[in-house]
Amino acid sequence: MINLKNISFDQCIKCTICSIYCPVSRATHLFPGPKQSGPDSERLRIKDPALIDSSIKYCTNCKRCETVCPSNVKIADLIQTAKYNYLKKKIRVRDFILSRLDILIRILSPISPIANTLMRNSLVKLLLEKFLGISRRQNFPAFERSSFKNCFKRNMQEQDIYDESVIFFPGCNVNYMDKRLGKDLVKILNAMNIGVTIPDNRCCGVPAIANSNIGRAKKYARYNIRSLKKALGDRDRRIVLSCSSGTLALKHEYANFLNLDTSTLHEKIDYITPYLFNRFSEGRMPALNPVHARVAYHSPCHLERIGGVMYTIDILKRVPGLDLVILNSECCGMSGTYGFKKEYFKISEMIGSQLFKKIDDAGPEVVVTDCVTCKWQIENMTGYRVLHPINILAMSVFKYGLDEYL
Amino acid sequence: MKYDCIIIGGGLAGLTCAIKCSSEGLSTAVISCGASALHIASGSIDLLGYSSGRYLTGDLDTHLDQLIKRKKNHPYAKIGKKCIWESLEFFRQILSKERLNLFSMDKKNHFHITSLGILKPAYLSQRSIFNGRLLDSYKLKKGLVLLNFRGYRDYYPGLAMNQLKKNPLFRDIPLKTGLIELPHYTKTARNMLEFRSIDLARVFEDETYLSKIAEDIRTGAGDADVVTLPDFIGIHNYEKLHARLEEMTGKSIIEIPNLPPSIPGMRIEHALKTSYASHGGEFSSGDRVTGCSMSRGMVEYITTENYSDTRLSAKCYILAAGSFFSGGLKSGYNLIHEPIFNLKVAGGSDRTKWASDQFFSRGSHPFMEFGVETGTDLHPFGADAKKIKNLYCAGAILSGYNPVMEGSGGGVAISTGYKAALEVIKKIKKSSLE
Amino acid sequence: METDVIIIGGGATGTGIARDLSLRGVRSILVEKDDIASGTTGRNHGLLHSGARYAVKDIDSAVECARENRILKKIARHCIEETGGLFVTLPEDDPSYQDRLMDGCSNAGIKAVEISCKDALAIEPRLNSSILSAIKVPDGTIDPFRLSSANMLSAMENGGKFITHAAVGSIIMKGGAVSGIECVSAKEGRFSIHANIIINAAGIWSQEICSLAGIKLKMLPSKGSMLIVDYRINRTVVNRCRVPSDGDIVVPGDTVSLIGTTSRSIEYNGIDDLRVDDDEIDILIRNGEKLIPDITRSRALRAYAGVRPLLAVPGNTAGRDISRGIVLIDHEERDGLKGLVTIVGGKLMTYRLMAEMASDLVTGKIGVSKKCLTARIPLPGSERLESLKKNLKLFPGISKSVIGSAMYRHGYRASKILKNDKKNYRQICECEMVTEGEIGYAMKSLNTGNITDLRRRTRIGMGPCQGALCTYRCAGLLNEMGHTTPGESLRMMEEFLEERWKGVRPVLWGDGLRESEFTYWIYQGLFGLGNIKNDNDGSSDEI
Repeated sequence: MINLKNISFDQCIKCTICSIYCPVSRATHLFPGPKQSGPDSERLRIKDPALIDSSIKYCTNCKRCETVCPSNVKIADLIQTAKYNYLKKKIRVRDFILSRLDILIRILSPISPIANTLMRNSLVKLLLEKFLGISRRQNFPAFERSSFKNCFKRNMQEQDIYDESVIFFPGCNVNYMDKRLGKDLVKILNAMNIGVTIPDNRCCGVPAIANSNIGRAKKYARYNIRSLKKALGDRDRRIVLSCSSGTLALKHEYANFLNLDTSTLHEKIDYITPYLFNRFSEGRMPALNPVHARVAYHSPCHLERIGGVMYTIDILKRVPGLDLVILNSECCGMSGTYGFKKEYFKISEMIGSQLFKKIDDAGPEVVVTDCVTCKWQIENMTGYRVLHPINILAMSVFKYGLDEYL
Repeated sequence: MKYDCIIIGGGLAGLTCAIKCSSEGLSTAVISCGASALHIASGSIDLLGYSSGRYLTGDLDTHLDQLIKRKKNHPYAKIGKKCIWESLEFFRQILSKERLNLFSMDKKNHFHITSLGILKPAYLSQRSIFNGRLLDSYKLKKGLVLLNFRGYRDYYPGLAMNQLKKNPLFRDIPLKTGLIELPHYTKTARNMLEFRSIDLARVFEDETYLSKIAEDIRTGAGDADVVTLPDFIGIHNYEKLHARLEEMTGKSIIEIPNLPPSIPGMRIEHALKTSYASHGGEFSSGDRVTGCSMSRGMVEYITTENYSDTRLSAKCYILAAGSFFSGGLKSGYNLIHEPIFNLKVAGGSDRTKWASDQFFSRGSHPFMEFGVETGTDLHPFGADAKKIKNLYCAGAILSGYNPVMEGSGGGVAISTGYKAALEVIKKIKKSSLE
Repeated sequence: METDVIIIGGGATGTGIARDLSLRGVRSILVEKDDIASGTTGRNHGLLHSGARYAVKDIDSAVECARENRILKKIARHCIEETGGLFVTLPEDDPSYQDRLMDGCSNAGIKAVEISCKDALAIEPRLNSSILSAIKVPDGTIDPFRLSSANMLSAMENGGKFITHAAVGSIIMKGGAVSGIECVSAKEGRFSIHANIIINAAGIWSQEICSLAGIKLKMLPSKGSMLIVDYRINRTVVNRCRVPSDGDIVVPGDTVSLIGTTSRSIEYNGIDDLRVDDDEIDILIRNGEKLIPDITRSRALRAYAGVRPLLAVPGNTAGRDISRGIVLIDHEERDGLKGLVTIVGGKLMTYRLMAEMASDLVTGKIGVSKKCLTARIPLPGSERLESLKKNLKLFPGISKSVIGSAMYRHGYRASKILKNDKKNYRQICECEMVTEGEIGYAMKSLNTGNITDLRRRTRIGMGPCQGALCTYRCAGLLNEMGHTTPGESLRMMEEFLEERWKGVRPVLWGDGLRESEFTYWIYQGLFGLGNIKNDNDGSSDEI
């Protein structure tokens, strides 16, 4: 069966460079590398779908292969599409749960104190591993008691007093797990005289895509597209996200992978740091105060892919007094929900080991990264507290102390 | 976003240029689409290796003079000899700062051994590839052993040995081949399917295996005093590893460049990128230029895939996007063109004349010399045949030379990248004075 | 050397005769100047004709095709894919041809069904959406390399002998009868083989063989060129519903698709140096694009040409219009030379029938009464259908893509090739997934002399990179396995890349050009392969 959309494998000249930079095949020989799983096998899969090899399931979709490919082959997309099209569709309970984290979160959020304690209980974790295949060595993130959206409705009502406005798509992380990030972001924007609108939204669909639950991902995506279009109305304003993978999904994967029409939205969507950068360049910049802390910055794979790293670094560099260590670009190994799965946990740990060592070498007070699942992985594997660049910026704008975040 | 200069292309030419610019305090950004051709290079820098098929042995200074006199359109002729030597010295210094030393035999070529046992000329080589004085020294009396790792599919020392034996230089040297086992590495069958140089380079980099490898090399070498290995003695800690291996084995260890991916090439790329980052330069990887705006014969701004609608503008632009391999040049059914600025390109529209009938034709292939035409200041010509005054071209995208046939790819990339940087620096300094 | 029958020519017909005779217990030696399937057999579009293509003009051929089609589906399962085929009418085509085709098919007993354009597009999503009508026919594809190799293997297993890379220098005659041939080969030098019967199955080269015996036979060489694209862009055979003309078929074949075919008369002395003309490329692309518009967006991998082995018949001159009928000549009757038989004409599809006819004539002459068995006994590899699943379990360390590809190429024999020795899991050709084990098997059991032969047995170097990585690996491996000396390996490496280049050069643009630049960098830039001559003549001793 020919995928009519992505024939970029045709451009592959077999230079093999992608295989050098694949963090998965580096960690495990079970994965033969992006060249074989992507363009090489695609020709065979077109000839006969039965020739698909199950080893493609090890791909984490980090997209580093695409970043280094000199031939513009959409290698990771080829692999994800193949996973979805040809691998046996046996959605496990675990994958179902991981693909619909939003529901889990919505259920657990109201009982968060109990849930958070329970999820960290070693017996519960053992049971989860035994029956669901969720690695007991990973910690589930803690849930907030009430959602960010509620909090926003209650406390940040007056957003139309500012002379500009922007739409903020909070996503599940901000909504249920990291309210502080949402609040910091809104406050910074407000300090820049920009009002914030929060549209009605659902899960961005990234977990569903990662777990090959394409039907579900499409439902979420359609919902989000509709509600963003509605929120946008006919006003010329931009949509920002605080999550790099979410941005990748909304901006690229909805169109390229789920084949949905995002043409009216595509140009409007920004990850938060490029947005801030552009505003700063226009002179709309809040006053920054020194932050005296040693931080190590890790650039997530997906931010690398959408090209936002330069902006985040630029913004961090603007913070006076900040002792910034930029870590060599490596994959942390979590890749969404990959690291939660029992069978991949070891691989995930191996993939990240280079990064964890470098963090240790740098000896920072906190680690900074843009991606929430990188944050989970690093916190779990190294014990360092991980913050979002927006948190650091908020510390600088509002003179918050680092201890508030620890 | 505004910069002093934007460099399109993050290969040998682009990075040399970027490092020179940023080290002079210019704000620079490199837009790179995918990894560079260094990944398929030998890792040695050639300056001028051949003339009409003959290996050049004499003083390179004289050979350069002759070339410049003979080929007026050659990039070397455009930038001049002084700049060439200066650029190579600069290049050597920046790598040396990143602990990657390059060796030369004064201003002469030295040879390196290829996977087929053929001797190829080079001007600068890494310590394990440099063979310059090997043959004069007391070494090699007791012989040379070509070692390989069992199961490695990208290197066959038997072929190399046979060819070396035919070479008069090696005629009196006892040669043999040998195999090293890496049992801890061949546990999984699946691994054999994708066994590449990079996997072995990582085994070397993991220093826990080093003493075991040293022991295997010693055993495999017997009483020979020189050992060759395929090119995987690490990337990041290479010099230290090589020195330690030589010390532990008591043998001279020579690396033989292999099928891609090229580990020696990656060492250079790594060193260049580290050096560039240390000067505060910005690097956008996996990005592609999607459009450009011209105004009054100058480049006004460019847009890229990753920065979608953000305009990237600079006082000067350098196009070092490589040849066909890297996408700097594109070929259509009956057309060769430069895709970003639509510059004037040397290369005909008659497809039948692009290549020779024989793959290994003595005269190589015309398409190898295709590229952008420039003046001596490296300014290219736009669609209107007028010079674009704030755009410079460097590296493999240039026309008028055949990197493979002349053995000049590395030298042209470095020297034109450097020259472009000098022009940019001059221009920007002048305009800031005004 | 002495035998009962000498067969000259290792195409489908020659190898088919070798198999036919060996199954009847007749001793034979086949002599081929290059490799099996290296001539016209390996240089066509690999269409398993349903017969529909001939139904309008040549009903006999159509019936013949339809019958052989059914037999081949039984005996050569692993060489065949039953893709199905379409005949589509474009707006510019004469719509009445469609009715003539339907009539012809019903006369010849070929199952042709008219379907709606919408259904045609559902079967073939990349088809030109402006087609006016579509007919579904039972076309398929056949891999000529696999077919010849399986015939050879079957013959060898039954005592047949094959000598490849040996040209016939002269025919030995004794008193009005042939008594043997004298051969020349690079490896063995001059040698002779004695037999009382010689079958000339040299295809277009039959004219030369006959002239060695002093007999006049005039062939009319008609060149047909084809263009291959990187991947299988269509699922079924797509034919243009019009009077046969240039560029009116797109055939999927293994991992690629190809646009066929042109027809051009050429001089007889040009048959050994076939070149695809530049305007033929234009014609193929222009017409291929009319059937499948996306085809121009895909990488052209290579172009190649073959010669139709047509016998001159007074009155007919143009290649495509000549009947493709089989001609069997007993030179004893025609020219008074005892023992020489020539079989020419026909098509790849009818190779088995041709072999049967020639073998029947010859066995009659030497008094063997055993009947032909080739229509009943399956070829080696097609003995049994085996499931991918079973092989997956047998070889747990190998990727499914590799096992599947080996099964496509060797059918039932694949499990023997993928022996459970981890060393054999090494992938040498990554585009077509050829392992060390498969190469070892081909070298040992399939009469393989060099890398180009190996390509015909395994598809090594036939993928998008056209040998960029596997040529060196393969050359090294052959030396390591003890099949070649290092010097021979280097020579083969150069020859193989030159052979690939011959097909790449006519379509050198776009990603194909990038690929060639990459290959050139490796073999000339990194290895210095083209410098071997300099190195050997000592130009480098001043270093």
